[in-house]
Amino acid sequence: MLHWSDSLAIGVKGLLLRKHRALLSTLGIVFGVAAVISMMSIGEGAKREAIEQIKLLGTNNIRIKQLQLTGEKREEAERRLPRGLTYDDAILVEESLPFLLGVAPLKFLDAEVRFEGHQGIAQVVGTSPEYEEVTNFRVAEGRFISQFDLRDTKNICILGVEVKQELFGYRDALGSAVRIGEGWFTVVGVMEPKLIREGRAAAIKVRNINRDVYIPITTALRRFPQTGDPSSIEEIAIRVAQAEDLSPTARLLKGILGQKHRGVEDYEVMVPEELLAQAQRTQRIFNIVMGAIAGISLLVGGIGIMNIMLANVSERTREIGIRRAIGATKGAILAQFLIETVFICLAGGAIGILLGFVMAKIITRYAGWQTGFSLVSILLAFGTSASVGLIFGLFPARRAAQWDPVQALRFQ
Amino acid sequence: MLIQVYGLRKMYRMGLAEVHALRGVDLEVAHGEFVASMGASGSGKSTLLHLLGCLDRPSEGRYWLDGRPVDSLNDTELSRLRNERIGFVFQAFNLIPQHSVLENVELPLIYGGVGRRIRRERSQEIIRQVGLGEKIRHKPTELSGGENQRVAIARALAIDPLLLLADEPTGNLDSQTGEGIMELFVDLHRRGTTLLMITHNREVAAYADRLIEMRDGTIVSDSKGAPPLAPQLVEEE
Repeated sequence: MLHWSDSLAIGVKGLLLRKHRALLSTLGIVFGVAAVISMMSIGEGAKREAIEQIKLLGTNNIRIKQLQLTGEKREEAERRLPRGLTYDDAILVEESLPFLLGVAPLKFLDAEVRFEGHQGIAQVVGTSPEYEEVTNFRVAEGRFISQFDLRDTKNICILGVEVKQELFGYRDALGSAVRIGEGWFTVVGVMEPKLIREGRAAAIKVRNINRDVYIPITTALRRFPQTGDPSSIEEIAIRVAQAEDLSPTARLLKGILGQKHRGVEDYEVMVPEELLAQAQRTQRIFNIVMGAIAGISLLVGGIGIMNIMLANVSERTREIGIRRAIGATKGAILAQFLIETVFICLAGGAIGILLGFVMAKIITRYAGWQTGFSLVSILLAFGTSASVGLIFGLFPARRAAQWDPVQALRFQ
Repeated sequence: MLIQVYGLRKMYRMGLAEVHALRGVDLEVAHGEFVASMGASGSGKSTLLHLLGCLDRPSEGRYWLDGRPVDSLNDTELSRLRNERIGFVFQAFNLIPQHSVLENVELPLIYGGVGRRIRRERSQEIIRQVGLGEKIRHKPTELSGGENQRVAIARALAIDPLLLLADEPTGNLDSQTGEGIMELFVDLHRRGTTLLMITHNREVAAYADRLIEMRDGTIVSDSKGAPPLAPQLVEEE
């Protein structure tokens, strides 16, 4: 009996004798697989990005954001009560929904941060002790804001790691006094570093929190007077215990705030995880469309290869006759042509994988989208090309095997 | 007896017409005989060769090869039989042009599942025997007609066949080269190989020790005399 390794060798040899033709016939597979690979790497990148964003925002978060009203709505709002989002709202939410794990108000201040004449690029944020818990973004050195800081409107601050780096370098920052706006603030803590990647036009904008400087919300409201309501804040960050609580809590929040704001929608309640889920649904549709295109490409590629193999079989009819005469069984002939087709497809798949990688790299480079590679996509690409080879190779191979030896030998 | 064939008939359709290529052939060939078969084209000698070589199955009749009934075997069994017992030499050489001499000669051993090392040694030895030891890596296109036919003979001999079938082995060669090939056959015959050869040429046929002539699908003369009727056929009648 013909040994399987010899059977394999016969198939590969037949292929190598017709390299150019094999290579050309495999182009359909190459592009199909390249499309699958680059598509999957974009999908994989989007998924990783989403997970990173969730981590950055903290899980099980709800954010209430100040909305700038325009036009008619603004006039309407001013007639009723032009307050916007305030610290009082945050306190109201905390008092009315005691099951929340944390409620942190955020006030963004337009103030310069200086130390020994250096000015740091920083975003000053007034917040409460609960911020750490809500965002799961924690102090690495020293401490965060305490309830006493809040009560006594203390002039303390906690630096984001990049701000600390910029102002102090490798020196110890704790205990030093930095100038924020017109006041002196004692550094009591430095935040942990967070990995932030510049993403694509993301579902949620994330600022670089490594450049934040945190001060007590009460201090922020009292020491940095500004136009508008004295207790106005930009954002309230809320954390619930589990993901299932997100939607019902968001509904409750809308009810409570709607009443307090007398129906004026000068705020929005958003659930980052829901937005990301929405974004991922969109991504999935994109994937299905791309997958269908890749599928069509593979189908066309497969038909092309079948065509070439049929031509191959009729060109090599005499060879089939010779092989049959010296004792090749139908099965051996079938295997020979099937192996050739599968190998063409696998080679096409390999080239396609490489091309897909290159395409994904180009996308990463120019579109700024994050891409990621998974072993699954490579296995899938190889699996698909092997199956295309098997499916479209079967017909030509059967035709080869069915040749009558005497007829095949007479063939010119 | 190596070959016992009784009442062999072969017909096939060619478009609407029914062609009777063989109309009842009885033939017995003993081990070690060298038989030449002559006849005009269309006399059925090639069909007979294909049937004896198990490349095709008869429409009617019985065939025992080395005492084993062959007419009832299926395609895979026939393939194996060809692979293990029968060597073919064709007028058109029928080598695989992209393969080297060695690879061509090795091919039947590959299909026979012979291990790499053994088949390589065996092929090299046979190629030396037919006088092509120097050209083992050459492709058929780089060789002369006579050399090509020697490769084909080496391929047929690689499996050490019970029966060597040759279909006009000198038909594409000039007479001098043809003589060389015939000397090779005579040498094989002397060493005990059973040969059956089709030819148009009386001079070539003279190398054989038995001549059968065919016309219109039957054997019209046999230098050894007609074989006795098979016992089985007698019983049936």
